[in-house]
Amino acid sequence: MEILEYARPRSTDEAFRLIREQHGTAIGGAAWLRTNTKTLALGVDLAGLGLEYVREAGDHIEIGAMTTYRELETSRPLKARFGALFEATVGHVVGIQLRNIITVGGTVAGRYGFSDLNTTLCALGARAVFHPGRAVDLADFIEKGAEGPFLLEKILLPASVRAAYQQMRISRNDFPILNTTSAWTGSGWRIAVGARPAAARLCREAMALLGNDPHPSDEKIVAAARAAARELQFGSDIRASAEYRRDILPVLIRRALTEVRG
Amino acid sequence: MNITLHINGKEQPVECRAGEMLTDVLRRSGYAEVKRGCDTGNCGACTVLVDGAPVLSCSYLAVRADGREITTIQGLAEEAKKFAEFLTAEGADQCGFCAPGFALTVLSMKEELSDPDEAEIRHYLAGNLCRCSGYEGQIRAIKKYLEAKHAQ
Repeated sequence: MEILEYARPRSTDEAFRLIREQHGTAIGGAAWLRTNTKTLALGVDLAGLGLEYVREAGDHIEIGAMTTYRELETSRPLKARFGALFEATVGHVVGIQLRNIITVGGTVAGRYGFSDLNTTLCALGARAVFHPGRAVDLADFIEKGAEGPFLLEKILLPASVRAAYQQMRISRNDFPILNTTSAWTGSGWRIAVGARPAAARLCREAMALLGNDPHPSDEKIVAAARAAARELQFGSDIRASAEYRRDILPVLIRRALTEVRG
Repeated sequence: MNITLHINGKEQPVECRAGEMLTDVLRRSGYAEVKRGCDTGNCGACTVLVDGAPVLSCSYLAVRADGREITTIQGLAEEAKKFAEFLTAEGADQCGFCAPGFALTVLSMKEELSDPDEAEIRHYLAGNLCRCSGYEGQIRAIKKYLEAKHAQ
């Protein structure tokens, strides 16, 4: 990728102004720039704006947009609230050296199909906060995108959700063939599936089937897992066929739901 | 663009394009020990430390390194040489192309993890690919190197 002009704003206000008024493009981790053939007229670097944090905020956890995967993986607040969920979700992404570069904001804003993190964030019921403070449902954003220019500032996670992540890869550090996260929110179940190979989606029929029972039976879990495979669309790519993805999804969902249910 | 890099303790003004990656700037500036491997963020050969953290220089914007401390394997040559003795003893080094990035990641791990077990070592080094060795000799060398460090 070529960047014709580069700006390093000193505040999120200035960054957003450059994005909105001068058609700038926000630069997050920039880990995939090398493999991208686009040309940016104006790259707006979000480094140095203080957007690197994971912190408790009442009944939520806030994750700054420039927080790296490695920071997620090693975050004590996240570990305390979600156990090994974030290690499991991002720990397969290439190596530590790349996880020291890739950012949460770049991943969410990019709405990448191969993303592991977006799947988990959708299942947790995360909200994306755009400058200067507009919060939207992250799963909706992943599905529909944003209207007009935006600057993603942080992610809000409900802190009391229990969740488990499952994935299938050809080799440990490859992109996923399929990934899924199941979560119990305290009042219902959420199931997200990504790398279909398209971007993460919620399995609304499967979620409805599970209802608000925190301890669904094995039979109900199997039925929900099968329903998820029926309601989603799958595609074929170099890593797997649509049929293969559809076949393995119920297994992954069953494992994740069973882990959360206990 | 004109930026100033601090490489292995030395200040070095360099010119770069806005979208240029750190590998290119470092190699152009004479740091040939930073290897250009896959150039797509997969193999770990181009690893350097930025403010002490290992990053892939092929995927790190050079302009972001402005004013930061960059360490190549030359900057840790003394410790790297000690580690290399363990690699040699275990027959773990063959063509050597991956060695600079591999050694930097090991030295970073030594600072970050106090007493890693084999699973943690393998996890930490998963981003450093070696097409010669099959990794077993390297794992033995790392364990023995860390044991020796703890014994000191």
